[in-house]
Amino acid sequence: MTEFEPLPASALPPITPPPGPPAPAAIPRVRGRDLMRVESRALYIQALFSAERQQGPGFAFALLPVLRRVYTTAGERGRALARHMGFFGTHPVLSGIVLGVVARLEERRAQGLPVDEAQIETTKRALASPLAALGDPLFWVTLRPLAGLMGVLGMAVLPLADTVGPDLRVVVCPSLALLTYNAVAIRYRVAGVPRGYAMADDPGGLLRSLHLPELRRFFERVSAFAFGALVTLTLWPMAQSADPGHEGFAHKASVLAPFVLGSILTAILLRRWPGRTVEIAFAAALVALVLSTRI
Amino acid sequence: MLSEIWRVALLGGVLAMDRSAGWNLMLGQPLVGACLAGAFLSPGTPWELWALRIPLGVGVLLQLLLTDPALPAAQRPRDTATAGVIGASIAVLSLERLHPFVPLTTGGILWVLVGTLAGLLAAVGGGWMEGSLRARNQRSALRAEELALEGRLGAFEALYWRGVARIFLRGATWSAAATVAGVALASLLLPRVAGLITGPRAGWIFASLMGVAFGAAFHTHVRAPRHGFRWAAIGAIATLLVLLRLNAGGES
Repeated sequence: MTEFEPLPASALPPITPPPGPPAPAAIPRVRGRDLMRVESRALYIQALFSAERQQGPGFAFALLPVLRRVYTTAGERGRALARHMGFFGTHPVLSGIVLGVVARLEERRAQGLPVDEAQIETTKRALASPLAALGDPLFWVTLRPLAGLMGVLGMAVLPLADTVGPDLRVVVCPSLALLTYNAVAIRYRVAGVPRGYAMADDPGGLLRSLHLPELRRFFERVSAFAFGALVTLTLWPMAQSADPGHEGFAHKASVLAPFVLGSILTAILLRRWPGRTVEIAFAAALVALVLSTRI
Repeated sequence: MLSEIWRVALLGGVLAMDRSAGWNLMLGQPLVGACLAGAFLSPGTPWELWALRIPLGVGVLLQLLLTDPALPAAQRPRDTATAGVIGASIAVLSLERLHPFVPLTTGGILWVLVGTLAGLLAAVGGGWMEGSLRARNQRSALRAEELALEGRLGAFEALYWRGVARIFLRGATWSAAATVAGVALASLLLPRVAGLITGPRAGWIFASLMGVAFGAAFHTHVRAPRHGFRWAAIGAIATLLVLLRLNAGGES
């Protein structure tokens, strides 16, 4: 998903319903209940995730209630299902939007309107790529780390109320993490399929209406601000309690040294070897163990 | 122990679903998983306090250490969902069993260390297991396409649900097996090195791990975003001013 660049809205093929005969009464229309089923199935969109097709099988699985509604024979339903089994990759939270748009197009195709398979596929890909390019940096890179950080910050902010009773931070910290992420993500989850279905004719407008880049910029700043606050909230009590016997600066420095050195070296090493935190953590633990036996 | 392992398995399975099936509700984050594991295990009244605090410490460290700012495709395979559960479970279950041999040092820091290191190893092992699951998914997807072309929609759905169940079972079996192995290893090793485990040594290792965690968090939250330094400095200064103000208020 990283290779996708966001397409300008003008690059997306407009879906204008061509003039044609009215929908035959015999063909059932997609109902709200079907869209809700699609939405609930989208929660499992990555269950058969593979490098080759990514979320393709999950997309077909999620769309099945709509295909069952609009196509009448098992053969038609099966062919439509197989069409959606190919490569599909977007951010899972935003997949509902593409599912909604495709549900509308499949409905029109079943009604006999001139919507061909290639148009459905083109629209699907044209939406999935920018949604991945906008959604991944927002949800994976910014919001998920921020949510975790808010949980950690909860531990630094909340005082230990009672030294012998149950620690309420155990409830508050994970709740903070869950709330921070889901306050944003659930909105897109719940509204995704109906919004995609309603705005299927205006994919460019649909993308713009999500305000994903603006949200990302905002949460990036909040994330950096929260990290700054966490550093102060951690160092302040550490510096105050590092020298209870008033043994002087040297003692204080020796107590704070593993933390400070560990932070600085990790920041430098991760620049050189990104993603190697586990290895760095084990190396740091080993070095600290060796040094602690010598000092 | 068996009932505890069942609970660990159930929790690991559910959190693996959150991470791998597509729920993405943040349940699979190490902080959440570790705290849930502490609450689920509850090893009895004498350990009630530690069974909550130690998982919180493990969860906080693992959360900072295992948060990778790269896009999923560019990340190293690490199973963060079960890492918190496994790390916290090993710490709590080992604490309960090994307390007579290895006493609590400096507020349970030793057990936080044991849980964090176990969680890091579990994240690496779980990542490898997830890779093998994806190879299996590729074969299932081919079969699913055949079933779709044959018009056998019921069979297609059953195949897909089996894929969902596989994710749950992988998370459950991995969590249970890794926890049992971790507790067994801790029971074997820790009593033998109990004499070497002192408060200051545990404190040094803990402080260095905390340092690594903060360095990783700096990499994630400050280096990657634009103007990250500026906003982090504003956050640090604003918090410092609030603390100084609160301190001055307390003294007066």
